[in-house]
Amino acid sequence: MNLVRFAGSFLVLAGAAFLLSDYHNDVYRKMLLWVTLALGYNFLFGVCGQVAFSHFAFYGIGAYSVVILLFQLHVPLPLAMVLGVAICAAVALAVAIPATRLEGFYLALATLALAQLFVVVLNEGGELTGGTGGLANYRLPPVFGWSLGGPSYTAVIVALLLGTYALLVRLDRSWFGRACRAVRDNPEAAAAMGVDVARIRVAAFTVTSALAGVAGMVYAFVDNTVNPPIFGLENAFLLLFMVIVGGAGRHAGAIVGAVLLFLLPFVLSPLVGHHHVLVFGVLVVAAILFQPKGLIGLFNGRS
Amino acid sequence: MQDLLELAVGATASGCVYGLVALAYLLVLRPTGIINFAVGEWAMVGAFGGHLLLSRYEWPYAAGMAAVVAFLCALGWLTERIAVRPLVERGAPVLAAVLALLGVLVITREAISVSFPPDPLPVPYAFGIQYQKYFIIGVTLAVFAAAWVFFERTVAGRSFEAVALNRRAAALMGIDLRRVSALSFAGGAGVAGLAGLLVSPNVSAHYLMGVPLAIQGFTALVVGGVGRVEGALLGGLLLAFAEQLTIRYAPIPGGYAQGVPLLFLIMFLVFKPTGLLRSRI
Amino acid sequence: MRFLWGLSLVFFFNSGFAQETIKIGVITDRVGVSKPYSEPATEGAVFAAEELNRHGGLLGRKVELLIEDDQSRPDISAALARKLVDQGVVFIISVSLSPATQQQQTVTMEAKTPQMTPMNSADYLTTQLDNPYFWQTGPLGSVQIATLLAHAKTKNFKRVALITDNSDLGQAIAKAFQGTLEKAGIQIVASEVVARGATTAMPQMQKIRAANPEAMFLAGVLTAENVLIFKAYRELGVKFPIHSSYNLSVPIYETVAKGLIDGITFVDAYDPEKPEVKAFEAAYRKGTGKQPVNLTGYGYDGVMLVADAIRRAGSTDKEKIRAAMQQTSYAGVMGAKGMRYGFPAGKRTGYDPNGMVVRVYEGDRQGRVVYVGQK
Repeated sequence: MNLVRFAGSFLVLAGAAFLLSDYHNDVYRKMLLWVTLALGYNFLFGVCGQVAFSHFAFYGIGAYSVVILLFQLHVPLPLAMVLGVAICAAVALAVAIPATRLEGFYLALATLALAQLFVVVLNEGGELTGGTGGLANYRLPPVFGWSLGGPSYTAVIVALLLGTYALLVRLDRSWFGRACRAVRDNPEAAAAMGVDVARIRVAAFTVTSALAGVAGMVYAFVDNTVNPPIFGLENAFLLLFMVIVGGAGRHAGAIVGAVLLFLLPFVLSPLVGHHHVLVFGVLVVAAILFQPKGLIGLFNGRS
Repeated sequence: MQDLLELAVGATASGCVYGLVALAYLLVLRPTGIINFAVGEWAMVGAFGGHLLLSRYEWPYAAGMAAVVAFLCALGWLTERIAVRPLVERGAPVLAAVLALLGVLVITREAISVSFPPDPLPVPYAFGIQYQKYFIIGVTLAVFAAAWVFFERTVAGRSFEAVALNRRAAALMGIDLRRVSALSFAGGAGVAGLAGLLVSPNVSAHYLMGVPLAIQGFTALVVGGVGRVEGALLGGLLLAFAEQLTIRYAPIPGGYAQGVPLLFLIMFLVFKPTGLLRSRI
Repeated sequence: MRFLWGLSLVFFFNSGFAQETIKIGVITDRVGVSKPYSEPATEGAVFAAEELNRHGGLLGRKVELLIEDDQSRPDISAALARKLVDQGVVFIISVSLSPATQQQQTVTMEAKTPQMTPMNSADYLTTQLDNPYFWQTGPLGSVQIATLLAHAKTKNFKRVALITDNSDLGQAIAKAFQGTLEKAGIQIVASEVVARGATTAMPQMQKIRAANPEAMFLAGVLTAENVLIFKAYRELGVKFPIHSSYNLSVPIYETVAKGLIDGITFVDAYDPEKPEVKAFEAAYRKGTGKQPVNLTGYGYDGVMLVADAIRRAGSTDKEKIRAAMQQTSYAGVMGAKGMRYGFPAGKRTGYDPNGMVVRVYEGDRQGRVVYVGQK
């Protein structure tokens, strides 16, 4: 993704924020965050074949870390950002090393347990995590003298999204991506060809989880609130839905899935009232039956 | 000491429920390789069915129980027909089916949620509150015994095993893959519905009961090992005992006690991920 | 010519009736974990709006409720708050989860839009953020325990047990209970948590039994899990009295916990003997054909409090409404006889600390009021 396209996309996506009303801007930027998460999750799940439910927990770890660092431990902003990323990477690594030895649904179960454990820790965290009420009453300190809020903060989110996208596309196209795919499709053959299967898995898990953590750090200042219900388990399933409905293994698929499934409740709710979740479920099943490899297949003329 | 005995009986009953849910997973997983997270919602349908037939219309217990299980079997068969078979026949990846079933989970939960009032609803006991635990244990043992006999001693059961081992070979040997699939879903749904019916007199029938049961059942499945039917029950019992003994005896504050089974599970997975009972083959 | 006359007449009449409505936003949960409480509260709010409109509306204009569903997801909740602000609501009523109400506050504070919750009882809602546009008229957890303790003072408890669930509200109420109990010099000999989705509460009750308390205070708000607690209580044959938060005042316990709740003491915000309550129940039955429950009353009071503030402000200017709301003195459906909602001395919690009643379950029905207030 060359610089011109990057700059152009940035201007278009960030510029749109300034044209939207307050409400639409809020929905837009939350959608962009979900797209960022979906892209990372797609790499982990679609390209590397690891079924993990911990992605959203890392989102939470990033969010809580930055808030705790900035407002409980009073660390200055630049250091807090660096430390936040370091914490996410460290936790991701600590989880990745044992977790990636597990196959298929064992990994799924372990990461499911991890996600639940994360919420328990948040709830029992007392003063540090704010317990069940979470942390609020904070504000992003001015960056270089600018007070970022509203549409200008959306620009930050756009930058995050594009940065994540660029990084993942780079990785995907490099030997790393090829190695991941080899490990996903046939670990024994990959090992026979000299790929260090364990290392690749750990690296993929760590990188994508750390990216989720960074997204979380950005999220913390969207509503200036972090609490346990935001990072609950249902979100992990929703993320999985997004990636599979969109088309696992392809970046465009993750984008399509995330945009569709995030916006769907907002569109459905005024139309069908409190049946909107039911309609959502029906639509998701229909989408999968119609296009098991993901809706992105529609755009390729394949069926 | 008396505490421990009481607790042991209670934990056994809880473990039996988890074991039934794990069995529901197993019945579908073995022949098709599909993990069906919707078992929790099937259990919930069983619970609501129990409420409707037994509480509201006051059918005799045995009739109500049989009707609920039969309805669930039909529901499982229907799910397979609509959400799974089209995918399998088009050669879609297993994960697509898993996801379609997650969609079914949502649909089932919402269908129940909009059809009943939002509060938890009562479901009557078979023989009274004091005997429910023994009833659960008895029914579970009967179901597992039946399952064991089915898989080990009947031709139909052997065909399930054959499909689990090698789909193509089984098809070449003349085993009807579609029938096996349909039966496995019907059976899984029936067992799950039974679990829901058994546990709901205690926990009440409510629309959020599905997901926790699904997770607990899945945990039991993995702990016990997916190779053998007995593994499901063993896994369920271990999980229940770990949960309840921790709460009762561990000297840690109540809030943290919920985290211990999760930690236990993670440790277990890291050190012995294939489950406790190894597959026969 | 006649055509033009007709047209102008049409415009004239239309302008009289097509005046802009007064928009009040309601954020509720229709599908998630808060649904059992949010649904009746929303019905009460809708009924209140209809009643207002039947009597001529507010300031000569019709009241329009804009109801949004946040699915108990706090980040969607905040987005919906922005939507309502964009649509021109003059007040937002929050009847969903406490964390959702909290997250909406960042928006209402920024947008300078009045917001209130008639039902949430978490103490942290007014302490975590200093939001001059937010009011809480639900009965606080700390008020609940203080009322319960005032009633139990004669029993002279020295050692009690505390049990709750792992929901956010259950934890918040337990925290309030714990603080007040400890301050009163009462020792908490056991403190247990029943997790959502548990199949039994036996181990927790056994642990409590082993600690031998004189009474057990119940702070949990999840109905199914509370029923588990009652079942374990009966199975173990323990006899110490149970004193519960306002959650036990929800009528579903009469069906789902039949035979288990006789003798349980609970604190409530609903006195069925109060004249306002009798009038409300009659009107509700007449208007909707259904019997209201106490949760309905919260929603009803919410809309009526907002309407009262708007009337006194005399306009739909948000700042005037804010000032008027702060000056509220209103007797609603909820609360003990003679209680008035009010925000003295700049406080933002409006439920009179002496306005709760203590009731006891007699058999399977909610019995009479045995104690009022904290004195």
